[in-house]
Amino acid sequence: MNVIEDISVYRKRRTLFVVVLLVFFLFFGRLYQLQLIYKDEYGRRSEKNIVRVISTEPVRGYMYDRTGTRVVDNRPAFTVTIMPFEFDRGTAPNLARLLSLDLEVLLERLEKGKMYSRFTPVKIKRDVDFKSLSALAEQRDRFPGVGYQSESKRFYPTRARATHILGYTKEISEQQLQLLGKEYAQGDVVGSTGLEAQYEKALRGAKGHQFSIVNAYGQVLGSFEEGNLDVLPKEGKDLILTMDFALQAVAESLMADQRGALVALDPRDGGILALVSMPDYDLSLFSGVTPPGVWRRLHSDTAAPLFNRATMTRYPPGSTFKMVLALAALDNHIVSPSWRVNCTGVFYVGRKPFADLHVHGSVNMVEAIQKSCNVYFYELMMRTGLDNWHQSGRAFGFGQRTGIDLYEENTGLLPSTAYMNQRYGEKGWTRGYLPSLAIGQGELGVTPLQMAYYAMAIANRGVTHQPHAVQAIIDRAMSREDRLSYETRSMDIRPELWEPIREGMRRVVEEPGGTGGLARIAGIPSGGKTGTAQNPHGPDHAWFVGFAPLEEPEIAIAVLVENAGFGGTRAAPIAGACMERYLHAASIRRQAEQPAVPIASVSTLPTTRAVYRSEQP
Amino acid sequence: MSMFKYLAERFEFRIFLVVIALVILGIVSVYSASYDAQASEIFFKQLVWAALGVGVLLLCAFVPFRILHLSAYPAYALSIALLVGVLLFGRTVSGSTSWFNLGTLRFQPSEFAKVTTALALAAYLSRPDVTLAKVKHLFVVAGMVLLPVLLIMAQPDTGTAVIYVVMLFPVLYWGGASKFTLLAIVAPGVVAVAALLGTTPFFIVVIGMGILLYLTRENRIVTAAVFSLMVLVGISTQSIYEGLKPYQQKRIAAFLDPSVDPLGAGYNVVQSKVAIGSGGLLGKGYLQGTQTQLNFIPEQWTDFIFCVPAEEFGFLGAATVLVLFALLLLRGIAIGTAVKSPFASFVAIGICGFIGAHVLINIGMSLDLLPVIGIPLPFLSYGGSALLSGMMMMGILMNLYANRKEH
Repeated sequence: MNVIEDISVYRKRRTLFVVVLLVFFLFFGRLYQLQLIYKDEYGRRSEKNIVRVISTEPVRGYMYDRTGTRVVDNRPAFTVTIMPFEFDRGTAPNLARLLSLDLEVLLERLEKGKMYSRFTPVKIKRDVDFKSLSALAEQRDRFPGVGYQSESKRFYPTRARATHILGYTKEISEQQLQLLGKEYAQGDVVGSTGLEAQYEKALRGAKGHQFSIVNAYGQVLGSFEEGNLDVLPKEGKDLILTMDFALQAVAESLMADQRGALVALDPRDGGILALVSMPDYDLSLFSGVTPPGVWRRLHSDTAAPLFNRATMTRYPPGSTFKMVLALAALDNHIVSPSWRVNCTGVFYVGRKPFADLHVHGSVNMVEAIQKSCNVYFYELMMRTGLDNWHQSGRAFGFGQRTGIDLYEENTGLLPSTAYMNQRYGEKGWTRGYLPSLAIGQGELGVTPLQMAYYAMAIANRGVTHQPHAVQAIIDRAMSREDRLSYETRSMDIRPELWEPIREGMRRVVEEPGGTGGLARIAGIPSGGKTGTAQNPHGPDHAWFVGFAPLEEPEIAIAVLVENAGFGGTRAAPIAGACMERYLHAASIRRQAEQPAVPIASVSTLPTTRAVYRSEQP
Repeated sequence: MSMFKYLAERFEFRIFLVVIALVILGIVSVYSASYDAQASEIFFKQLVWAALGVGVLLLCAFVPFRILHLSAYPAYALSIALLVGVLLFGRTVSGSTSWFNLGTLRFQPSEFAKVTTALALAAYLSRPDVTLAKVKHLFVVAGMVLLPVLLIMAQPDTGTAVIYVVMLFPVLYWGGASKFTLLAIVAPGVVAVAALLGTTPFFIVVIGMGILLYLTRENRIVTAAVFSLMVLVGISTQSIYEGLKPYQQKRIAAFLDPSVDPLGAGYNVVQSKVAIGSGGLLGKGYLQGTQTQLNFIPEQWTDFIFCVPAEEFGFLGAATVLVLFALLLLRGIAIGTAVKSPFASFVAIGICGFIGAHVLINIGMSLDLLPVIGIPLPFLSYGGSALLSGMMMMGILMNLYANRKEH
C-alpha cells in the first residue's frame, strides 16, 4: 500500500487537521467559559475551599443576688475528642469502656466526623466526668489522637435551687434554631426558661469568629489575612438580681415536700426576694448533657416540676381576696368602716344558702377581716355589686400580667359583667354567683405572684412597683453598669380608706381571734390574711398574703400550699418564718452597714477571665 | 552545504522547540504542584527524566532511518515480552502491576509499547500487499493493537489501554479504511454509553447508528452482523454495569453528573474545575494557586497537571499549553504527508494518534468534558516512563522529517 502516491492523502490530512482544530476549539471554548465567564463563581468556590470560619464561644454571663453572692456560675466541662487521622482503631474498645460509651456509638461518631475531615477533632463524648478524664490523661500514650476540649457549662454554687426563676440553658433545638436565626448554630447553648431565657441576649454575649486557611485535609495552616478579619468573642453580661438567696434557701426548705408556690418581694421597689415553685428540680441536670431518662421523667411527672406555679397557676385565692371587696365598698361609699353585719353562720340569696364556718355575731369591717367572716362579705358584695368589685380587682392588678421580667406569666382571671354575659349569656347568670366571688371562690383565678403584688399594694397604701428579678446588668468589658428602671403606680384611693383594711390584717396576725396568728413575728408588727380555697379536685388550697413590718414594710409575701387545708395553719407559718428570717438578716446587715449590692463583688473576677481580657487590644 | 543549511534541512526545529517548551512548562508545573509536599524529590526526579528525555529524543532523531524500519517488529516483540514479564515479575503500585524496578528508577513497559506499536503498525500497513479493504488484514491490524491492550488491561490499567484504542482510528483512517469500518468499530462503544444514560437515548442512538451503517454499508451480511453486535452490546451494558464494582459504578455515575458525589468520584473533577475557573484570565500567580498549593486536587502532579498552569497562569497559561499541543499535532500530521516513505507516513500518524489521544482524554477530563480516566498529559505530567516514551516519539518524528526524502 503506498499512501504517498495516493492523491487522497491530502484530503485525509485536511480531515485530520479539521478534527484536531475542532477538538482544540472545543477546549478553548470550555476554557473561556470556565475562566472568563464563570471566573467569579469559581473564584468564590476556591476561596470557600480554603477559608474556614471557627466560631469561638463567649463565656455566658454570671448572676449575682442582691448581697453580691454569685448564684449562677460557669464551670469547665470536658469533651473528649478524637482526631481521626491519628486515632488507632484498635484502641476503640478500651476507649469506649473508659468513657462508659457504647463502642458502636463511638465508631459511628468517628465515621461521621471522618467524612468531614480527618484532621478535625470529632466530639465523642460531652461533659466527661473528672475521673474518666484523669484516667484518660494517665494513659495518654495508649490512645493516640484522643484529646479533650474544654467548654463551659452552668454551675449553681448556692444551697438554694431557685429552679423556676433562674431557668435552665440547654442545647438549642431545631425550632429554636429557626426562631432565633443566624446568630445561633447547631450545638449552641441557649437560655430556655426563666431569667436565662428572658435575658438571653445580655447573658449570651456574642460569638467570636476566627478565619483560618486550611488545606484539602482540613489541616489549619494559619490565619487568613493575618487575622485582621477575626472577631473576638464578646463575653456575656452579668445580671444583678434583686433576690436574696439566703431567704430563697429558707423559703425552699419551708416549702420542701409540698406542692405550691411562694413569692416574696420588696414592697419598696418591687424586687423579687424569693420565688419558689414546688416541686422543683436541680437545674444542673440540664447544664451538661441531659440524659434522656431525666428529661422524660421530669416531663411525665404528674406533680409537674417543670411548671412554674408562682407565675402560671390560676387558682381561686379564697379569703385572701376579701380586701378587694372591702376597698371597693369603701371607695364607692357603699358602706362606712363602722357598718355592721350580724353573722348567723349562713346567708341566703333567694333560697340558696351560703355558709360560714363560724357564727361570728355582729362584726364590722375590721373584725370581719380579722375573723374572716364570710357572711359580712356576702352581704357587702350584694351591696357593692360586680362592677365595683371588678374595678377594685383591676386596680390591684388582677386579671392582668404584673409585667415581671420572667419568661412566662399568666394573666389569671377576674370576672366582670362583660365576662359573665359572654360566658353565660346576659340572662344566664344571676346575683347568686356573687357571694362566691366575694370570698375569693368560684370563677376567679390568680397567681401567687399577683397575690404578692396585692400584698405590696396594701403594704404601701396603694403604691405598687413592677415586680422584677433583675435590678442591673453589668457589662464587664465596658466596665458599665446599667440599672434597670421599672414602672411605679399609685392607686387612686383616699389614704384613710386603707386604715380599716390594714387594721383588720394586723389583727389577723397580731390579735387573739385572728386567723393568721401562726404568721406572727416576734417583736415586729405585721399584717396578713389567710385563705382556704375550695378545690373540686381534692383538699383545699392554703393561702396566705402578708407584709412586714406594718409600717415602712420591707417584705411582702404570698404563699400557696396546694391541697393542704387551712391557710392559717399551713400557709401562714411558712410566710411568717420567711418574713422573720429576712427581717432579722436585714437588721443584722443594716447594723454592719454594708451596701445592699456591693459592687466590689463584680470586680473580683476569676483569674482566667482577667487574663482573657488583657488579650483584648 | 553550510552547517546551518544542513541543520535546517535535517533538523525539525519546530517540533523540537515546541517539545522543549512543553517540557519546561511541565517542570515548572510539577515544581508548583509538588511544592511543599515531597517537592525536592519529585522535582529533582522530573529534572533528571527531562534531561534523559532530551538525550533519548536526540538519539531517536539521529538514528539511521533504516534501523527504525528494521527494528519495528523486533522492538514490538520485545515490548510484548516486557508486558508479559511485568505481569509476572512486576511491582504493584496502587493496584496496578505495571512497573519494573530498575534500582531507584521505575520503568513502565506499557509506555515503551506505545512507540513499538506505532512502529509495528506502520511497518505492517506500509507493506504493498496490505490493504484494509481485506478483512484478514484488518484483523491483523486490530490484533496488533489488541495484544498490548489485553496485556495492559490485565495489569489493570484501563486508561492506558483506552489510549491504544483511540489512536487506532486515525491510523485506520490514514490507511484507507472505509467509513463503514470506522463506524462499525465506534458503534458498540457509543451505544454502550447511550445505554448507560437511559432507555430513550439508547433507542435514539441505536436508530441513528443503524441509519449511518445502512448508508455506508458494503456488505449486507456484515452490516447486519455489526448492527446485531451493537444492539447486543447496548442491551448487555446495563447488566455489565450492575456487575461492576460499586466504585466503578460510582465513577461512571460521577461522570454523567459530577455533582452527584462531590466528595467521591466527582471530587477531582469539581476541584479541577474550581482550580481552572478561579484562575481567570491571568491566573493567581506562580506558586500562588490555592487549589494547587493546598492539595485540593488529587493526582495534581500527574493526571491533573493541567490545572496547575490553568490556575496559576490563568487562561493565558492554559491557552499556551493548548496552542503548543495543537501546533505539535498539526505539524506531526503534516510530516505524515511530507515524507516519501509510506512507513514513515504511518509512523507519523501513529505517533500523532498516541499524543492526540492523551491530550484529548487528559485535558477533556480536566475540563469535565470527558470521564475521569487516569492517564498523564504528555511532557507535562510527572513520570519518567511517559516522558521518555513521549520524547522517543518526538525524536522519531524529527527523524522522519530529516529523512523525508528516503523511501
